[in-house]
Amino acid sequence: MLRSIYKLLVGQPVQFGVLRRQFLLRVIDLEALSIQADIPRFLGQFAGVLMMFSIIRALGLLIHPPLTPAAQFSLAWRTEQSFISSMMLVTGLIAVISWDNIFPDRRDVMVLSPLPVTPRTILFAKLAASCAILGLAVLALNFASGLALPLVLGGIPRFPRIFAAYWFTIISATIFIYGAVLTVQGFTALLLPRHHFLRLSALLQLAAFGLFLGTYFIQPALDTPAALAAAGSQRLLNWSPSFWFFALFNQLSGSLPSRFAWLAHRAWLGLAIAVCGATVSLLLCYLRTMKKTVEEPDLVPGARGWRWAPRLGSPLKTAIVLFSVRSLTRSRHHRVAFAFYLSIVFAIAISALKEAMSTPALQPLTPDFLMSTLMMMCLAVLGLRSVFSLPISLNANWVLRVTQLYPSEEYIAATRRTLLLLAVLPVWLCAALLSLCFKPLLQSAAHLMVLALVGFILTDLSLIGVSKIPFACSYLPGKSNIQYMFWGFVVIFVPIARMFANYEQHALHLSFQYAAMISALTAIALELWLLNRHHARSAVLSYEELSPEVITTLGLSSTNSSSLS
Amino acid sequence: MLELLNVSKHFSSIPAVDNVSFSARPGEVTGYLGPNGSGKSTTMKMITGLIEMTSGQILFQGKRIEDDLIAYKRRMGYVPEEPYLYNHLSGAEYLTMIAQLRNLPRRESAERIDGLLRLLSLHDDRHASISGYSKGMRQKVLLAAALLHNPALVLLDEPFSGLDVGSALVLRSLIQELAARGKVVLFSSHELDTVERVCSRVVILHRGKIVADDSIEHLRSLMELSTLEAIFSQLAVEQDSESIARQIADIIHA
Repeated sequence: MLRSIYKLLVGQPVQFGVLRRQFLLRVIDLEALSIQADIPRFLGQFAGVLMMFSIIRALGLLIHPPLTPAAQFSLAWRTEQSFISSMMLVTGLIAVISWDNIFPDRRDVMVLSPLPVTPRTILFAKLAASCAILGLAVLALNFASGLALPLVLGGIPRFPRIFAAYWFTIISATIFIYGAVLTVQGFTALLLPRHHFLRLSALLQLAAFGLFLGTYFIQPALDTPAALAAAGSQRLLNWSPSFWFFALFNQLSGSLPSRFAWLAHRAWLGLAIAVCGATVSLLLCYLRTMKKTVEEPDLVPGARGWRWAPRLGSPLKTAIVLFSVRSLTRSRHHRVAFAFYLSIVFAIAISALKEAMSTPALQPLTPDFLMSTLMMMCLAVLGLRSVFSLPISLNANWVLRVTQLYPSEEYIAATRRTLLLLAVLPVWLCAALLSLCFKPLLQSAAHLMVLALVGFILTDLSLIGVSKIPFACSYLPGKSNIQYMFWGFVVIFVPIARMFANYEQHALHLSFQYAAMISALTAIALELWLLNRHHARSAVLSYEELSPEVITTLGLSSTNSSSLS
Repeated sequence: MLELLNVSKHFSSIPAVDNVSFSARPGEVTGYLGPNGSGKSTTMKMITGLIEMTSGQILFQGKRIEDDLIAYKRRMGYVPEEPYLYNHLSGAEYLTMIAQLRNLPRRESAERIDGLLRLLSLHDDRHASISGYSKGMRQKVLLAAALLHNPALVLLDEPFSGLDVGSALVLRSLIQELAARGKVVLFSSHELDTVERVCSRVVILHRGKIVADDSIEHLRSLMELSTLEAIFSQLAVEQDSESIARQIADIIHA
């Protein structure tokens, strides 16, 4: 192995460097981007969100009111568990987002195989690119909190040991999660025929997404030795790697009670299995799968049988909705992006279900329950609207232009219907199921009315100024300024939703207030709908984030354009 | 009839198509020829309404196309130069989507799609994803999508690209059949043998300008050349092809 790395670095540095740079940018689907897309800026925005987290956590650690020793101990354990599980979540999400990056895909094989590039060079270039992304995430998420935590836990005298323990644990947890994903993926690729693997791989990817997010949101904190030792926690400890690495951190920093040493042992074992599994599966895949990829037939017969194509309004609306459904379900990038939001929706739904089941049957609706359904609605609409912005095939959009036989408002109405059918309706049905099963009928019906109106309002809010067909406009990463959107959502929307949930819970008991609330919501929904319809009448459908002139001239000015002729 | 009157297209200040005028009549196949970069595809895109012209007029059946672009698009079928399709859809789904976007009656469009898929030998693979289709199969999907609504104007930009011999023969006959049934057919290709067999008239473009617009017979007798290839070489090819070939061989042997 070491000889291979040496050969690689000394023998083929140019090939390695070129491929590493190419693979580094593969995190995003390049074909979906507008010509002025700035990928480093886009990645920088994500790093910015992580760094902000790190700073806030560090400040939270350094500035807090005086606590009793017991409370301080409990806070320290909660913080350690939270830091480790956050890092594992971020690594898991990166592994899922870059699902296809590490293994050779068909495009790599077809382009690189005829060239004198060895599979070893491709493998190491891919590994180096993945390590760079993971390293960036580890640094961004821990650069401030990774200093503050050792300082708060050990003071100056124990800082070096706790600092080393913290960073070792964080890097180990990162390697464990990434290695585990690679192991599962690699062995599936080895064991199954390629076309079966591709189908299963899509499901595995979604399952991994749900698993990482669900675990993060649902998993409780066990912040005292008693809670950790409780009989009810043992099943969780057996299966939850974040507790293993929490124990590893405490073992390395010298503060782990000996009765929990088995947890740290699990972390070591898990790390070893993940590293070995990933190494073996990667090596075997590069030796075997690359050949298999070339040998696979180009055309895989489609499944035969019943194909349901419902009417969802006019033929145009049906075409746009079905096109959106197919894009969402068949494109890996879109599926993963939407799964990010759906997993949070799912986690909130599970939390709401747990809350509902933990109280006696038919208890009144609580603000927490109302808040959960509002958040689910908001995230589903926001998620789908974000995913709509990612094009599926820019080159193929010519057909939408050539067949544009209706005014633009019809297309924008079709986009609205798609949002209502794919985001609002499923969340509303899910909320209806939850509330009608566990809450009083009248209150549930009243809340569902409110939720439906909120769904309409959110849909029309998300479509203000939009004149696009879903998945059919180029994408300009960085334009949405995700770091501001994220913090705007956390700082502004969440408190407003909380206030609204409190008010709604109050209004559900008072018919006059409820009627006033419904009237106000209906008025807002109608106003937004009319506003969007008015805008749509004069809108021109947009297929590019940039003006056609900028695209056709590649942004060249007339003064220097003569060189093109 | 399709008429182009003094049509120009400038990208920034660079002329891609310069003052082009010609007409394509119903019942005949008009060939639109030119070397790479001469402005053929740009003209085609202006005729389809995909890009706007800088100046000039395009008339279809005597009316400016931009006066009622939607009505014009209803009557126009287009096969683009590159087979760009939505790869995540199957062939049948793609054609159904086109039929819906064109608001064709459901039953009628289903029958047409089925018939076209059968005749173009795509029926067995109609439910497979287009991403797995060969270039020729994609070309057939494009052709089916362009003809699905029985257009009065058919624009074909390199329609033979990727087709096997059998399919190319079918397409050649189809183009003539469409013209015989009174459609306006504008056909752009680099395959001069096919153009010579299929087209009654040719328009030759060079550096964005028309250098010939006549029937092939008349051009042959006028220029005293026996083949369209010879006519084309004289009008639109500036390079000495044999000399360039020698130079390329010299470079790779150096």
